[in-house]
Amino acid sequence: MKRFLASTLLVILILASLAACGPQKAANHLEAIKQAGTIKVGTSADYPPFESVDANGNKIGFDIDLMSEVANRLGVKLEWVDMPFDSLIAAVQEGKIDMAISAFNYSEERDQQIDFSEAYYTSEDSFMVAEGFTGQISNPEDVAAYKVGVQTSTTQDSWLTDNLVTPGLLSEENIFRYDRVDQAAMDLTAGRIDVLMSDYVPAQALEKQLGGLKIVYHGVLSSGPVNMVIPEGDAELKAELDKIIQQLIDEGFIDELAMKHIGAQ
Amino acid sequence: MLVNFVSYIAQGTAITLGVTAVALPMGLVLGLLIALVHVYGGRLASGIATYYSTILRGIPPIVLLFILYFVISGAINLSPFWAGSLSLGIISSAYQLEILRGALLSVGSGQMMAARAIGMSRLTAVRYIVLPQALRLAIPPWSNEAAIVLKDSSLVYALGVAEILRRAQLLSASTQRPFLAYGTAAAIYFLLVFAVNRLLDLLERRTRIPSHP
Repeated sequence: MKRFLASTLLVILILASLAACGPQKAANHLEAIKQAGTIKVGTSADYPPFESVDANGNKIGFDIDLMSEVANRLGVKLEWVDMPFDSLIAAVQEGKIDMAISAFNYSEERDQQIDFSEAYYTSEDSFMVAEGFTGQISNPEDVAAYKVGVQTSTTQDSWLTDNLVTPGLLSEENIFRYDRVDQAAMDLTAGRIDVLMSDYVPAQALEKQLGGLKIVYHGVLSSGPVNMVIPEGDAELKAELDKIIQQLIDEGFIDELAMKHIGAQ
Repeated sequence: MLVNFVSYIAQGTAITLGVTAVALPMGLVLGLLIALVHVYGGRLASGIATYYSTILRGIPPIVLLFILYFVISGAINLSPFWAGSLSLGIISSAYQLEILRGALLSVGSGQMMAARAIGMSRLTAVRYIVLPQALRLAIPPWSNEAAIVLKDSSLVYALGVAEILRRAQLLSASTQRPFLAYGTAAAIYFLLVFAVNRLLDLLERRTRIPSHP
């Protein structure tokens, strides 16, 4: 009798739990995220001060803190999915992750494949050289005379390709594309490249940490607005994120984060 | 600090071993079946096995990995771990197929004839006469393949699985200590491969046929 009771209870429990997570098909992606109670966000945690890991493996940085607050306001749990930068857009397209935040700059090329949220930050480009560098860089185009390093599939990569390589100013042999920006900075220290083009903020961090490097130019060339990346045509998620980003800008939350992680705004 | 640093990277070992534990046996089973078909099957079956081996040995594992993860995701939604393990297993099956085929062929054809002459079926002869010898002979070259699969498991980093290499990259980026990060990763891989090779050496000695070369 006891066994019978126990098994009946078990069956009822199973049925109840099945009913609870029953086939209520979500109306859209945003609803699906809210129903799941978790948002899967991709990032490439090798880009301090925007995203990196500390020695214990915890994710830290501007984007990390920002996204935690965004997830709070969405009322869902945040699940980080770390992957190399150039895999992130494909992962959003294929629905492997719900969205990505990884200091993405707006570009038309990217906009054709995915959608962007409103900007939450504005970034600049920079050129960095080793301290012993004797060349002259007064205009951005001047770097065409040197060996230039850049991170693969960043907006800086596109800028160099469109403005220097395609017009024939910079030969393909003199542009060195790296998986990550810190690898490029180390090659700059080692003298394998003469100039590194990257975002201004990470460049400042690298200048400080590595030593022996100096930034000789900064300004807006390829970069500019920094946005979150969401699936193409996902209007509901975009509207919700844009609303939250605007709130966070109005409340000064983003300025605070910029102060804390970047030291400027 | 240093302890945290090393232990963070070492936590990737479980994933490295997990990927290997899927890919290597999967490659062995597939490879053995196809090697048997190649050696003892008819002309058609043997031809198909040749194509299988030629095509798969011509695809870099990372390309197959991206195909399994990104391209066919509409049909089958594989996790990064499974996409990585399966693609390595498939590629490895082609290499193991060649290792096992060589081992099968190195058992003299006279033995098969003799077995058939005393009334064994082909299947029985393969099972009791050829395979026990061939599998022993396959161990030394197979230990090479085991080491390669173990190290190739690092490729899943491209999909963001936090195995040893990806963990080393993350720490290298955040702490600017690439030598320590990649040195730790290299040491862990070395220890793993060393242990696997020693185990297989032991297996080879244990199963060696006395007075057999």
